[in-house]
Amino acid sequence: LSLEEAARISDPNSKITAVKAAHKFFSDDKDRAFEAKMMDEYSRLLTVQQQLEKESDGKVEFFGASVNETMRRCILNGMSKRADKIKADFKVPEKRFWHMKLHALTTLGDFEALDAF
Amino acid sequence: MTSESDDHSISSESLIDVNLLKEIAKKALVDALNSVNGAKTLVLDPSLAGPLGLVTEVSVLKHHGVDKMFWLEPGALSSTTSNIVYLCRPLITYVKIIADHIKRHAKESRKHTYTLLLVPRVSTLVSQILEEEGVLGDVTISAYNLQFIPLAEDVISLEYDNAFKDLWVDGDETVIYDSAQALTTFQKLYGLFPRIVGKGDYAARLTTLLIRETPKSSNSSSPETLLTPSERIDSLIVLDRRVDMITPLLTQLTYEGLIDELIGIKNSSVELPASLLSPPAPIPAGPSTSSSTSNAPLTSLKKESKKKHHLTTATDPLFAELRDLNFSSVGRKLNRVARGLDENYKTNLQSKTVAQLRDFVGKLGGLQTEHQALRLHTGLSELLVPLTRTEHFNKSLEIQQNLLASYEVSAQVTAIEDMIAQGADMQTVLRLLCLASITAGGIKAKVLENIKREVLQAYGYNFLPLLLSLASPPLGILLPNPLPSSAPASLAPLKYPFTTLRKSLRLLIDDTPEALDEVENDISFVYSGYAPISVRLVQCVAQKGGVISNPAEKAVAEAAGRNRPTSQGKVQAHPIVGWRGFEDVVATIPGETIDIVQRGSGSKVPPIASLLQPGEKLTTTVVFFLGGCTYTEIAALRWVGRQNKGRKFLVVTTGIINGASIIDSIAGLGKSAGASKAAGI
Repeated sequence: LSLEEAARISDPNSKITAVKAAHKFFSDDKDRAFEAKMMDEYSRLLTVQQQLEKESDGKVEFFGASVNETMRRCILNGMSKRADKIKADFKVPEKRFWHMKLHALTTLGDFEALDAF
Repeated sequence: MTSESDDHSISSESLIDVNLLKEIAKKALVDALNSVNGAKTLVLDPSLAGPLGLVTEVSVLKHHGVDKMFWLEPGALSSTTSNIVYLCRPLITYVKIIADHIKRHAKESRKHTYTLLLVPRVSTLVSQILEEEGVLGDVTISAYNLQFIPLAEDVISLEYDNAFKDLWVDGDETVIYDSAQALTTFQKLYGLFPRIVGKGDYAARLTTLLIRETPKSSNSSSPETLLTPSERIDSLIVLDRRVDMITPLLTQLTYEGLIDELIGIKNSSVELPASLLSPPAPIPAGPSTSSSTSNAPLTSLKKESKKKHHLTTATDPLFAELRDLNFSSVGRKLNRVARGLDENYKTNLQSKTVAQLRDFVGKLGGLQTEHQALRLHTGLSELLVPLTRTEHFNKSLEIQQNLLASYEVSAQVTAIEDMIAQGADMQTVLRLLCLASITAGGIKAKVLENIKREVLQAYGYNFLPLLLSLASPPLGILLPNPLPSSAPASLAPLKYPFTTLRKSLRLLIDDTPEALDEVENDISFVYSGYAPISVRLVQCVAQKGGVISNPAEKAVAEAAGRNRPTSQGKVQAHPIVGWRGFEDVVATIPGETIDIVQRGSGSKVPPIASLLQPGEKLTTTVVFFLGGCTYTEIAALRWVGRQNKGRKFLVVTTGIINGASIIDSIAGLGKSAGASKAAGI
């Protein structure tokens, strides 16, 4: 499985390539539509993470994190707009998003934002 | 309780002495080491350290010329001795490392003699790799045959961490072969299993191997024991893990099981905060310190301020009483012991005459060890209690119970989704998901897809292979319902008839909590109301009455009260007659059914008749779990053993598992976790 290979690769660009290869494999098999979709999302996520790292001047690690973790780190670093955008892009359900945001804001101690709920 | 401990003493006399196996393992190691002359450096596969610790001590190794010990790790290896002994499992990565070591040394033109000890046996693959690397000529390869290791007086294990994954995900059947080998050794020691009963495809594979092994070796110079059926063992029951996937997915609720779930027991050692272990009073050789020092030089890997504690009943009689109790009654038990101890101290302080005083001083040592054991276990349960109070823990218990009762399955799936949202452990969530899939015969395709998406988004896309292997045959424990028409045909017969089984094997028992505390009246006490299928199956063979109705209940009725003498509730163990009476039920479970009588090939015709009438004779039934078993199942089997007169159980397994460890091993965590972390940084 090229996906397992992808997990081991640390270089961002080649990782995305590997995931895309996995995507291709899955889409060849029509029973694997779900997996293909997931891989598509994965490569999109990795690209977004690359952008995010650039935006934060490499101060924050995003690459390779899960969707949840990425959003959390966005909020923790005062980029909650970006978090909202990821939420929309990846169709994150409200419930999970708010739980995550709640936790993130609490760790920040950002009670003004908490009040704004 | 006294009657129970009496039982233990009786059983230990008649039970097969598994320490023999330990001695064999130890001797084999010493022999292997002695085969290399002079001082040597031992390079150890980290995954073997735990099992070895159960067999031998560092001092023994030192005594046999081991100068220094290293972990087998990539990178340079500097050794002062000319002999280097590698001790490892035959894994490709290890062999590559070794080859690398040898090449480096060759470059630095240092002369070493290399010996490679493979556990448990030599594989041609290894020599092939060494040949490819061009270093085969430099290495002497031999095997160190480490087989069953006794974990307790009635539990022996191969201590394979990944047996489950190897078999059901990778389809690697080495484990089966090794198990068959180990069981053959076992038969050589104790005699042929008169009857082999089993369930599951891999169990069948194992049995075939085992039987083929026997006549082959009996041709010429095989020991007498392989020719005649054993007198002391009445049967071998082989269950493969696929037969009962539900049980390991549930949260264990016995004391030992819960420690394993929440803190983690590895090779029967548990890591605890040092403050729990080091006694405040200056007792030089407390049971905990002595056992942890034996591991001391090996422990460079463990975290600071954590100490390994070897959980064993040999030095800790209190643990023997606690380990199989439902956690809800552990507190009370501890309390009672504490009170007893307190009184003991008090009465002793009142003693006046010299003779009484001398008596007291004599007892003091015993009291102190007891005191310490008590302290340890109180501390341990204090550690556990807050963990069992967390929301996630209770929520997942609730979901488990509801799923077992098939109560509002879709609501449970939603609840699992909530847990993902709240950021519960990946393992917990997947355990619940698989449980839902098995008990309900699959999750609705749409819902399942949704929830898989949730899992991947919340925990990372790198878990997709994990989800795939959970869904694919031969494992197939996370399936959509109905199955897509395109699904491989091999998946369909894997479906688990849980609801019918629940009825026919009486898996769920409505127990009021009070009843649970008063008498542990069924094996279901271990899960607070659910009886493990695996153990019920064993009961089908060895205690038929226990499946249909409750022997203890009847006994309670007879004794009309709580002061039921244990002996009265005991039924004479009936002889092993295979699955008789339960053929239909057993047939509904996927996998082959096995029932074979081994007559032995010796001249003596085994007296089958005597097998059928065990009389007052004590026999042992060996239960082999292929793919691992949980502490809770062991507890339940011990309970079954206590119900019958004349039969004891010996639990044999490839390793101790729990739900989290299954998921972890399939996910390849530990290996890939490090890799993905590296990818993140």
